[in-house]
Amino acid sequence: MYARLALRNIRRSLRDYIIYFVTTTLVAALMYSFLALGFSPNVISMSENMSMLTSGILILSVLIAFVTSFVIGYAIRFMLEQRKKELATYELMGMEVKTVCRLFLAESTAIGGCAFLLGSLIGTGLSSLLNQLVRNIFGFPHSYQVVFFSQAWAITLLSFALMYGVGMLRAVKVIRRRKVVDLLYDSHRNEGYSFRSIRWHILCVLISIAAMAVGAALLAELVHIQSNRAWLYLGGACLLILAGVYELHRQVPFLLYQFAKRDPYRKYRGENLFLLGQIGRRIQSTGRTMAIVAILLTVSLATLFVGLTMGAGYRANMEAYYPYDVGVAIDAPLSTDSMEPVISFVQDRCAVEDSVVFYLYSVPDVPVEALSLSDYNHLRQILGLPLVSMDDDEFLIHCDTWRSMKEIQKALEREPEITLTSQTLHAAQTPIMTEPMEQYQMAGTKGFVLVVPDKVAKQLLASKIRLAIKLENDGYPKLKGELQGFLKSDEWRPEVQTGYELPERVTFGVTVKAWGIANSLTGFTTISFCGLYLSIIFIILSCTVLAFEQLSAIDKNQKNYRVIDRLGVSSQRRVALIRKELSTVFFIPLLLPILLTVMLVFGAQIFFREAILQEGLVLLCGLITIVVFCVIYFTYFGATLFLFKRGILRQGTE
Amino acid sequence: MGELLKVSRIHKYYGMDGNVTKAIQDISFSVHEGEFVGIMGASGSGKTTLLNCISTIDTVTSGHIYLNGTDITEIKEKELARFRRENLGFIFQDFNLLDTLTISENIALALTINNVSPDQIDRRVQAMAERLGIADILEKYPYQVSGGQKQRCACARAIINQPRLILADEPTGALDSHSSQILLSMIRSINEELSATVLMVTHDAFSASYAKRILFLRDGTIFAEILKGDDSREPFFERIIKILTMMGSGVSDVR
Ligand SMILES: Nc1ncnc2c1ncn2[C@@H]1O[C@H](COP(=O)(O)OP(=O)(O)OP(=O)(O)O)[C@@H](O)[C@H]1O
Ligand SMILES: [Mg+2]
Repeated sequence: MYARLALRNIRRSLRDYIIYFVTTTLVAALMYSFLALGFSPNVISMSENMSMLTSGILILSVLIAFVTSFVIGYAIRFMLEQRKKELATYELMGMEVKTVCRLFLAESTAIGGCAFLLGSLIGTGLSSLLNQLVRNIFGFPHSYQVVFFSQAWAITLLSFALMYGVGMLRAVKVIRRRKVVDLLYDSHRNEGYSFRSIRWHILCVLISIAAMAVGAALLAELVHIQSNRAWLYLGGACLLILAGVYELHRQVPFLLYQFAKRDPYRKYRGENLFLLGQIGRRIQSTGRTMAIVAILLTVSLATLFVGLTMGAGYRANMEAYYPYDVGVAIDAPLSTDSMEPVISFVQDRCAVEDSVVFYLYSVPDVPVEALSLSDYNHLRQILGLPLVSMDDDEFLIHCDTWRSMKEIQKALEREPEITLTSQTLHAAQTPIMTEPMEQYQMAGTKGFVLVVPDKVAKQLLASKIRLAIKLENDGYPKLKGELQGFLKSDEWRPEVQTGYELPERVTFGVTVKAWGIANSLTGFTTISFCGLYLSIIFIILSCTVLAFEQLSAIDKNQKNYRVIDRLGVSSQRRVALIRKELSTVFFIPLLLPILLTVMLVFGAQIFFREAILQEGLVLLCGLITIVVFCVIYFTYFGATLFLFKRGILRQGTE
Repeated sequence: MGELLKVSRIHKYYGMDGNVTKAIQDISFSVHEGEFVGIMGASGSGKTTLLNCISTIDTVTSGHIYLNGTDITEIKEKELARFRRENLGFIFQDFNLLDTLTISENIALALTINNVSPDQIDRRVQAMAERLGIADILEKYPYQVSGGQKQRCACARAIINQPRLILADEPTGALDSHSSQILLSMIRSINEELSATVLMVTHDAFSASYAKRILFLRDGTIFAEILKGDDSREPFFERIIKILTMMGSGVSDVR
């Protein structure tokens, strides 16, 4: 009997349930599909570090489950609020509180179960799509197949049950605590408009702006910091900015509202007065929610953008990070002959097209290494770059890390001449070359290297040896491990140049382009997909909260709109007013998130334009971020507007 | 004085065939400009329905209603709104003030909807508030004032546009007798001084005795009609009671 009652309830309160249902379905679908991606053996086997993706998605899932449980609790409370009269009537009819709870429980479980099932169904399709996307990124052939991942499904089910449990518990608590009287009669809560003085509001605004400015300054500073202190800066900056976002969103609507009310011409024109009243109440009652939504949106937009940009930047820079097919760097003065066995080791596995063994020379008194012009040109040849020529009394600097660029430029301006082994060298015509060729300290250990004439180089200490190989084909990722094994094994017996001593600790590095690319793709996939996962769900949750705020205002609005109907405002005008009111409330929380995202996009464009080798990539990612966001946001806005309009006008004509 | 409102043979049926409620059956009457007409009747006799039809909130099933010569049952929905804001003033039983606006803004609302020039609004609201004795609560919100003050605010909102016809549906229903008295004298003085036409639905004989003419409804038809004539209020009150007893209705609220 209760089952039937519950079912009837669901049908009756479909309006309230619809957004709730859509949201839980979407969360379930996204959660399942991303988890499925993270657990797909197909994807994990693509590269050796792919477990990064798995753990990233798992960690985010925990976070998402946590946040979602809040939203579910909020939603359940909202629905309870809508139906407290009905519930109270049950109680009056003699049902026990326990029964009422059970009824509500049955209802929510039914809805949640449906949402979960539908969600995992959609998620299965979605996960195949994501899988395909990853395969595309790694250049694997297409093979669209729908696979069901029980592990991912189980985790989704578990977090779903947890989220639900928490939300439900809160709801039951609310029912228990309520007295029938409160449920039956809306306690006349004072809807006071406790506006403080304008000056106080302006002060708050100024303080928040200052906090945000400090946060932005910290962020800008962050670019130059390499140590662990960077995390401190990042945390501080985020905290300051988010606090500013919150407080600004609390204050600015008040100020705008007061400002709009000030001018009688604005206030009394057409239906403005009515609209202002409506909006004033919203600011009063949902100001805090809107501010929290603003924070959520800021976080998700920033995550989405940073995720996309970092991921795509990784990918774009991949070629630059790995210019050589194979590179070996040993920080010891070994003889050139020692490298012969290494070359043959590679030759046995992949056809070697060209190779160069060269030294990085120590420059006395200056923390920089030198490279001889002929070695430099050989490297350029391997990379397919045009050769450079310079006179015997000239030098140039090769620097492909943008971070040191400015200092080098300044230093060159200060002293365009240097003296090495009692020879004076002038800066060449193009004193700085910037093509990517540094890869794992091949050309300099600091990110830049001095290129000097061979004659000068010969007189310097040849302290570090390097080997660069160009293969006929691309090689394969495992080559890296094999080569490392060879270098560590006893098979390889390196010799020190005559007259040199082996340093106490010898560091060596091996890079293989094929491995690097596979690895970069993993990084790209992980960062981008985690960013997508987190931000899309956050956006959906924010929209849900906003939508519920609107729907819970329907009952009060109905009355107000009926009054102006009687005062002679045509239904057309009323629809226009409803749209205006709703869009104001829906778009107030967007104010700063959008502004900040745009600022972030342009800031990133300014700071990282040189670092990311693909022109316009940052802006493209910004655009994608905004578009993804808008699609979700406007969908929810449209749905809410539809329900809102129907809710208000339906009983308005009764 | 000319005829302002003419109700001609209207019927109003609710529901589908088989289960029809005949809320109004063949009612006709007319109201002259500046009249104060009371409408009485038992619960369910069709008073609100009649008022709703006149106020164009509801539509008649058949028949015609003319206001100042215009047949308001024939105008289109779009013009209805305009008609309402230009010609009618409502006072509802449950005030229907907007809790989002202050008292003064609630009164001003009627003016802004009528596109009155903004620089006149504050002055007119102030003047009206002084007349109704609510000038000192203008900046308060509805929840901060008493029921009587709210009702006076609703009254101010209804008449500030100087509508041709004021429709009041049990305006004193939620008030104590003292507040009712103040409000009713207020309506009467508006009626007399501004020569506004008033149509007031009421349950109780005391309120009705302020009117100059009373229509009695029973089961959707006009059962009787009395004029105050030269009587003062007390004898008129007695006559009302007499008719009510005659109708045998369950009007119990005889003060
Ligand atoms: N929307 C409606 N649908 C169906 N029947 C209705 C509707 N509104 C009113 N009625 C019926 O029409 C009849 C007249 O109702 P009306 O509201 O006019 O009565 P009333 O005289 O105003 O009563 P009260 O003094 O109780 O307010 C009643 O029988 C009522 O049940
Ligand atoms: Mg009625």
